[in-house]
Amino acid sequence: MNEVTKKESTQEVANRQRREDALLPPVDIYEEDNALHLVADLPGVTRESLSIEVDSGVMSIEGEVQLDMPEGITATYAEVRAQRFARRFTLSHEIDAEAIEARVDNGVLHLVLPKQDSHRSRRIEVKAA
Amino acid sequence: MFEDLRRFDTGPFQGLDWVRQLMDGFFPESGIADIRSVPRGSYPMINVGHTDDGVYVYVFAAGLSAADLEVSLQDNVLTLRGKRETVAPEQKEGEAKRPYFRRERFSGEFARSIALPDGLNADLSEARFRNGVFEIHLPKREELKPRRIEIKAA
Repeated sequence: MNEVTKKESTQEVANRQRREDALLPPVDIYEEDNALHLVADLPGVTRESLSIEVDSGVMSIEGEVQLDMPEGITATYAEVRAQRFARRFTLSHEIDAEAIEARVDNGVLHLVLPKQDSHRSRRIEVKAA
Repeated sequence: MFEDLRRFDTGPFQGLDWVRQLMDGFFPESGIADIRSVPRGSYPMINVGHTDDGVYVYVFAAGLSAADLEVSLQDNVLTLRGKRETVAPEQKEGEAKRPYFRRERFSGEFARSIALPDGLNADLSEARFRNGVFEIHLPKREELKPRRIEIKAA
């Protein structure tokens, strides 16, 4: 009995710690070619360990840091003190969530968030009267 | 042996960096800072660990390629130098500057130095690069590795 409750509580603690111990990746966001571009630094995150989700206008980026560390390593000094990166962004309605593209290269995530057709800037021709 | 590295200690919450920076502004750091210390969260971030056979340095340098980082070791001080370009500078001639909404990522040149313990064999050290993380392994000199002593029966 005691053992069961103990197990559960450690699991909960582990879960809570997992949620808290996420690093906030630095991002660049700029606009180009009728799309928003988001560039995020996620060192150690691979294509497989990265998940990007859009749910009711909120985009969550989560990535697990994949490092092959040798057995029995002891930390002497650590600036990266979490196993994962996480950050959330609110998307405005002008973004076409279906058409978001992502690629990861050397630990840098590049997201292209195209605007919906109806929101693209277009040039209006002025006709001579 | 590792005391000189412990002085670099950083706080646990990376996400609260802005609070810390704010507080640091109000209460400037007292005590003795290491001569080579940098502000928290500087690019690239570094982790150092050790095993029985050597020291491992992990450099979290997203966006660099293997050739972009220069690693050198002198008098037990490991120096990392490099340069990271801003992403996709495809600015066409005569075009208006593209609007930036956030600019948090580091760009430009950097150099970081960290003091390592004595007794490392620089000649046998090697560095690997994967997914934006450099792993530098510096083995200990053979005579400093732990060794098992056999007890002979009298």
